[in-house]
Amino acid sequence: MSRYLLGRAGQAVLAIFLALTVVFFLVRITGDPVILFLPQDVQPKDIVYFRHLLGFDRPVWQQYLSFLGGAVHGDFGRSLRYRTPALSLVVSRLPATFQLAATSLAMVACAAVPVGIASAARRGTFVDNIGIAATAAGQAVPGFWLGLMLIWVFGVWLRWLPVAGYGGWTHFVLPSLTLTAFYAAQIARITRSSVLDALGQDYVRTARAKGIHERGVLARHVLKNAAIPIVTVFGLNAGQLLGGAVVTETIFAWPGIGQYILNALRGRDFPVVMVGVFLTSAIYILVNFLVDLSYVWLNPQVRYG
Amino acid sequence: MAVGGLGPGPASTAADAQAHNQITIGIGSEPLTLMGATIVDWTTNAQLENIYDLLFTRDPKTEKIIPWLATGYRILDDKTWELTLRKDVRFHNREPFTAKAVKFTFDYLLDPKNKTHYLPRFKSVSGVEIVNDYTVRVHTSEPFPAFLDNVSLPGPFMLAPEYVQKVGIDYAAAHPIGTGPYTFKEWARGQSLTLAKTPSYWAGAPAIDAVVFSVIPEFSARLAALLSGQIDIMKDVPPQAVDTVNRSGRATVRTTVSSRIDYLAFETLHPGPTQNAKVRQAINYAINVDELRTSVLGGMATRICGYVGRYDSAYDPAIKCYDYDTKKAEQLLREAGYDPAKLTLTLDTPSGRYPLDKEVSEAIAAQLNKIGITVHVQVNEWRDHLDKVINRKAGDMFFLGWGPDLQPIGTVDQLFVGTQTYSGFDDPQTDAMINKSVQIVDPAARNAAFRKIQEALHPMAPWVPLWNQHDLYGVANWIAWAPRPDEKVWMWEAKAK
Amino acid sequence: MAESARWLVPRTGALRRGGRGLPGLWRSRTGTLGVAIVAVAVLCAALAPVLAPYNPTAAQFSTTLRPPSAAHPFGTDQLGRDVLSRVIFGARISLLVGGVTVLISGFVGCALGMLSGYLGGWLDAAVMRLADVQLSFPFILLALTINAVIGAGLQTIMLSLVVAGWPLYVRVVRGEILALRHREYVQAAIATGARNGRVMWQHVLPNVATPIIVVSTLQVSQFIIAEATISFLGFGIQPPTAAWGGMVSDGRNYIFFAWWLTAFPGAALALTALGVNLTGDWLRDTLDPRLRT
Repeated sequence: MSRYLLGRAGQAVLAIFLALTVVFFLVRITGDPVILFLPQDVQPKDIVYFRHLLGFDRPVWQQYLSFLGGAVHGDFGRSLRYRTPALSLVVSRLPATFQLAATSLAMVACAAVPVGIASAARRGTFVDNIGIAATAAGQAVPGFWLGLMLIWVFGVWLRWLPVAGYGGWTHFVLPSLTLTAFYAAQIARITRSSVLDALGQDYVRTARAKGIHERGVLARHVLKNAAIPIVTVFGLNAGQLLGGAVVTETIFAWPGIGQYILNALRGRDFPVVMVGVFLTSAIYILVNFLVDLSYVWLNPQVRYG
Repeated sequence: MAVGGLGPGPASTAADAQAHNQITIGIGSEPLTLMGATIVDWTTNAQLENIYDLLFTRDPKTEKIIPWLATGYRILDDKTWELTLRKDVRFHNREPFTAKAVKFTFDYLLDPKNKTHYLPRFKSVSGVEIVNDYTVRVHTSEPFPAFLDNVSLPGPFMLAPEYVQKVGIDYAAAHPIGTGPYTFKEWARGQSLTLAKTPSYWAGAPAIDAVVFSVIPEFSARLAALLSGQIDIMKDVPPQAVDTVNRSGRATVRTTVSSRIDYLAFETLHPGPTQNAKVRQAINYAINVDELRTSVLGGMATRICGYVGRYDSAYDPAIKCYDYDTKKAEQLLREAGYDPAKLTLTLDTPSGRYPLDKEVSEAIAAQLNKIGITVHVQVNEWRDHLDKVINRKAGDMFFLGWGPDLQPIGTVDQLFVGTQTYSGFDDPQTDAMINKSVQIVDPAARNAAFRKIQEALHPMAPWVPLWNQHDLYGVANWIAWAPRPDEKVWMWEAKAK
Repeated sequence: MAESARWLVPRTGALRRGGRGLPGLWRSRTGTLGVAIVAVAVLCAALAPVLAPYNPTAAQFSTTLRPPSAAHPFGTDQLGRDVLSRVIFGARISLLVGGVTVLISGFVGCALGMLSGYLGGWLDAAVMRLADVQLSFPFILLALTINAVIGAGLQTIMLSLVVAGWPLYVRVVRGEILALRHREYVQAAIATGARNGRVMWQHVLPNVATPIIVVSTLQVSQFIIAEATISFLGFGIQPPTAAWGGMVSDGRNYIFFAWWLTAFPGAALALTALGVNLTGDWLRDTLDPRLRT
């Protein structure tokens, strides 16, 4: 097991390093950031001068090496736009994203899993059809449209909830509803499908034949076996949410990491982009790893070593 | 669907705001730093304007330069400006405002280590000499007639030398101290900036107790916040939304003619049909600017026919607009050797940077299509758009805006000389005229010279001049405040009705 | 993961008695609905010039932003263009984006997945880690870079989706292959000396086909919706081409007072995605051998 852990840790470092390198060179393809910073009456030779001041006239490999040298010490440089250290800027946006992600994931789990199980247990009935239609619809609506509709109805029309921004629990309702709609639909479908799969297994038929109570059958054996795919997709979703739901954060003015990285990309703020990629890939890999570990607990036949 | 009406809800937030005497302004992005004299960015400066003061400022109606922290100036020779400063002004931490602050600010601004965006704009300044506590001399390495104009626009704001030196630049950039009507209270990054009034403000305490700038990036969410009362002021309401806002009972749209101009420039610095002056004139005749103005912008624009805006001191009302005359357009094209039905052009435009820029570009394409020309509209991300223009990779035409356009230096010399960054045009004769005119120190003579230059440019049709845009602000009904042409959102001017 | 990837493929139970192929369609209510919706979308795309009452790109400045009426059942947009015609023509872009991108990313992903699952070893580890890096890559950066290299427009959208989409197929296919590899008939084929390629072609591929087909239909609906998100981010289809996602994104600034600009293309998007989803669910039930008992 410890060999497995070590192996995974090594692979994680490699993956993060790869991601950083690829992104480093790719952002530079999108062009140099200097012109975005300077006033419109800037002279061409001033642009050259500023490029030199900011260090963008050095050969790319030299910029890369100096970036790596700093990154290893946790110094990702200063944000080109904000002029303060990039790492602390981005990290300060994590709590807002994590809180929204946690709220949404909790809502998804509470809503989607029971719906999926109910749908599977009542397969072929009216309840099931409604479930299928609702979940198919939930995945078919563009997120930003839903968000704006919610803002109009609850923020402007009824004025029950604030329109945008980060604050007390009332500010969490609309953004997490918007996120939950999509992910809940996905999880419900997966839950239904994997529970149906598990219900079709031989051991379930055997248990039923033995006369074990339906509820007992479901709870103990089926759910645990059905859980693996659900946990996998849940983990994928968690990784995405923790990395920042860009569209939702933009619509609701949520000061999260997703919107921050988008603005950094638009503003060619390279240091912030690099920190953002570093953090989101680290989060994603960590979540993936936790999901893989959970397999051991859920299905004793899975072994790593 | 009763789109314009508002349903039931909690008690009017306007009343709450009025009771607390606080204005919340909805803004599309957060300030990049709270240190003055560092960044040229409307959002940042609009907020810093309330915390800091400039040496000179602008009259809200006429845009004439008026003394502010400086009480007057004298031109000693063509390389020296002498400024006299106001007495009895203090920074928010009670530090006195003296010549030391002026010197410190300029030193900070010009130091390459600080990489301020004002370095290119003020690079002719070689140093600031302290004559006495309330007099400074600004020395320039070459004649700098635009010095006063540049110093009166945001934002070489005056910084507090003792404070910045004591706490360091990084801390001062997040906890600003200025001489302005509002004092910094709190900055929640990415969310809001909170300011409280400075009762001892030297020009008189502001009427509004507190100002909050609230970041709401998505336009529709910002509009919703205005309609629900969560914010009191927002900029850039689109013309089509004006009715909705005015019917809301909570806010109304107030407009002003902006000092920012929008135009369609011809890219003549690479080979293409637009290098031919007849083609450019033809396109001018083929575009119905008034129709664009009324249908796409809802009338919210003031047409210009020349090459500077209406607030520019060198504005020339004598320049005649090109009429809308499709016959003449077709004729000119044929004279130039082009068959309109076979002509294909590209138009580069940003999206959302200027009011309805993309829609106007699409409309222009549709109008040119009426005489048979095929126009491909290429919508660019803002930075890509700038890149294309700078590197002369734009298509045959590009849409751009320029502002605040208050004087010809910084406008005409930037946009019609081929070596300048954002120019799409070059002509050796007008280049010579421009180079001579930027040196003229006397403003009246300078303006006359630039009017002559515009008259010389007109037959060459380097642009399709469009308009001074109108700035549309959604403002809560309880607030008495009028928008300014120079785009300042200066809450010292606001009060409750 | 070594688990079979069947879980990625949701199943509907609406099909009571397993039937094969199209005759079974009528017995699935949701499946019928799905196929019907997709058929309507395909019809719109194919017959757009015939069906659309107006030219979708003709600007008419005298009738901008009109609400739905008899002359314009879906209203007009900010340049006076008829929204109904634009919605009909928009089907072309959406089906193009959905269909072609899925074909390409599916092909790439499946090929990699098969090689990875079958050959194992360092190739497998490399492909999986590459997929990991790809998935942890911000999609926006991808789109931005592609945009910088080849310019904004349809090609950027499609290329971005292809690059973003292949890891899913790798996962699905690889999972299936890992499960299949140990089946008896495969072992037997290898034992009798069949070459790898032949084994893959004859035995593995037919079994992998089912989940691939169903995952693909899911991807199609996801990509159709993604066009809207990409337009929201600023890399949309160039004007004046009508595209549902672009229309919803452009119209969002008018959403509170010209609701028809987003409502109709949004409904078209949602319905088509729904139809594709339902079709995929029905296909899954029809093609899954385990349901036929």
